[in-house]
Amino acid sequence: MDTFLTFAHGFLALADPSVIGFLVAGFLIGTFFGAMPGLTSVLAIALLLPMTYTIDVIPALVMSAAIFMAGMYSGSITATTINIPGAPSSMMTAIEGYPLMRKGKGANALGHAALGSMIGGSIGAILLMGFMPLAAELSLMVRTPGKFSLVLFALVVIIIVDKGAIAKGVVATLLGIMLATIGIDVLQPIPRFNFGTETLVEGIDIMPIVIGAFALSEVLIQAQNWNSSFDADLARARDVKIRRRDFIPSLSEIREIGWLTYIKGAVIGYGTGILPGAGGSMAAFVSYAAAKSSSRKPEEYGHGSREGIAAAESANNAMCGGAFVPMLMFGIPGDPTTAIVLGVLVINGLQPGPRLLEQQADLLAPMFASLFVSALILIPLTLFLFGPYFVRIVSIPKGLLYSSIAVVALVGSYVATYSIFQMFLALIFGVLAYFMRKQNYSTVSLLLGFILGPDLEQYLRRSLSLNDGNPMIFLTNIDSLVFLLLTALFVYLILFRKRRSAA
Amino acid sequence: MIRGGRFARTGLVLPILLIALNTVYLSAALNIESQFSSGAGIGPRTVPILVSLCMYVALVVVVYGELRDDSASEPRGAVIRPALVVLATAGYIFLFRPLGYWIDTALYVAVLFGVFQFEIRRPHFFAVYVILVAVAFYGLFAGVFGVRLPPLPGGLG
Repeated sequence: MDTFLTFAHGFLALADPSVIGFLVAGFLIGTFFGAMPGLTSVLAIALLLPMTYTIDVIPALVMSAAIFMAGMYSGSITATTINIPGAPSSMMTAIEGYPLMRKGKGANALGHAALGSMIGGSIGAILLMGFMPLAAELSLMVRTPGKFSLVLFALVVIIIVDKGAIAKGVVATLLGIMLATIGIDVLQPIPRFNFGTETLVEGIDIMPIVIGAFALSEVLIQAQNWNSSFDADLARARDVKIRRRDFIPSLSEIREIGWLTYIKGAVIGYGTGILPGAGGSMAAFVSYAAAKSSSRKPEEYGHGSREGIAAAESANNAMCGGAFVPMLMFGIPGDPTTAIVLGVLVINGLQPGPRLLEQQADLLAPMFASLFVSALILIPLTLFLFGPYFVRIVSIPKGLLYSSIAVVALVGSYVATYSIFQMFLALIFGVLAYFMRKQNYSTVSLLLGFILGPDLEQYLRRSLSLNDGNPMIFLTNIDSLVFLLLTALFVYLILFRKRRSAA
Repeated sequence: MIRGGRFARTGLVLPILLIALNTVYLSAALNIESQFSSGAGIGPRTVPILVSLCMYVALVVVVYGELRDDSASEPRGAVIRPALVVLATAGYIFLFRPLGYWIDTALYVAVLFGVFQFEIRRPHFFAVYVILVAVAFYGLFAGVFGVRLPPLPGGLG
């Protein structure tokens, strides 16, 4: 009952005009970044990160949640209308939405995408609020060796989901861990890797890494790929005609899809979100494949299946709720967006863990409410109000757009600490991330290695120190053993089983 | 492929640079002194040394993969625009305090517009957009978020 009241209080916090202003602004920013091919909600939250130094924690978290939900949904807009997914998680929606668009039913496809997102996002937020206390209790049972194995599990999963470049994923993750070791040691008050300079004694802040890896590197990539097929996209976007009344899906179509498809998609999405590194793309793909395998009309898939759109969109939006669970309970982000939200928490002095929910649920509840309100109200409302104009988003001049992103990123990295050094660091990480992305190294692994590195080191050293350096503690401790077995299972399922079936 | 081409691949530059950095990192890790020793010599340098050794292994695998990869390298001219953006950004940061927000941002945006070929054939629109971007983000940071930016040369104003 207490938990229910706490979460209900979160909705009351949204009644504050400034908080609701940040919610709506975040949703619109997320919609814009999600719909524009090349931009993502990760970039939007990365640009928001420096601002969180100057605004309160509740509006910052509310805005982040709204950006996350909106970015996940709005990728479907350009995926459907011009066959270019605004976000990677909308790939499956493009496969089904664009054929409908070509049949003159683009608005109907957008309506189904919004309905799926609305239902999935709402269920994901409800599951997050409902299971959070249970997750907190479970996380209290995990002891130090178990925490080490859990962080290791997260890092291994993040690396192996990128099956095409595992060695490069390992390099990126280790590089992140190395960067995190710069500064004061996690257990003893001694500086490491400062190379005689005072500036590095404090360590490297998350902000220049986020700004460099996700904002400046994007500007550099866009500068390189400048002669793209942008004019063709522009022409296609101008030709698209959409009427507002066509957005509302008919009841017969919804019945044909079946409520079970939405609910199954939402549960798959939520569960996928809990897994570190899985993200919206995997959620949408798994749910789409599950819906196709149990469909009464599998022949429609690939030719404009509304059921496929519903399954994919309900899953990727429900993922938003699931991704918050490991981040809030263990400080393990489920995806890059929650990794940056973790940065927002840390900047505001909040330490993830079960005590966070116990002691500062009043700060988290508005964020959960923001996820729910964004999914249930803002997704259908913005589609209805702005839907006919959404597709024009791609016609915004990209030169203006990326120049603006560069200014926001650099000035943002200055205003966070009034430090020119932070701006230079952001540039250095931007150049590093640019080369990494060009060579297929994951910048998400770099960021997660940086975030999880200190926990990994702390738990490893504590566990070994308490057991005279005997590593067998990780096998004799039950919770640690469970996570190690889980790691082995995932390695087998994702790497070896797939390879066998491919052969 | 031309002789020696495999070793001139752009894909090898990053791992070789990382091997060099990893060596510097490892030597610094070996010099870390612990304030007090805990069981079995576990201390502040344990994890950095482990991570560094794992990094060598991963980088060797990456280098081996790059040497076996026959796909074509990127043309050298492709990085001119990103290089211009990096130079402009370094200049922007370097001159941020000496020139102040307004002049420095206007110059930076003008260079980026040039790189992205935005309104370069219409100088009036070009100038208006440069001013608009500078004003819009001053309004956002100073107006909405109440942040102090150095508005004039030398931080005056």
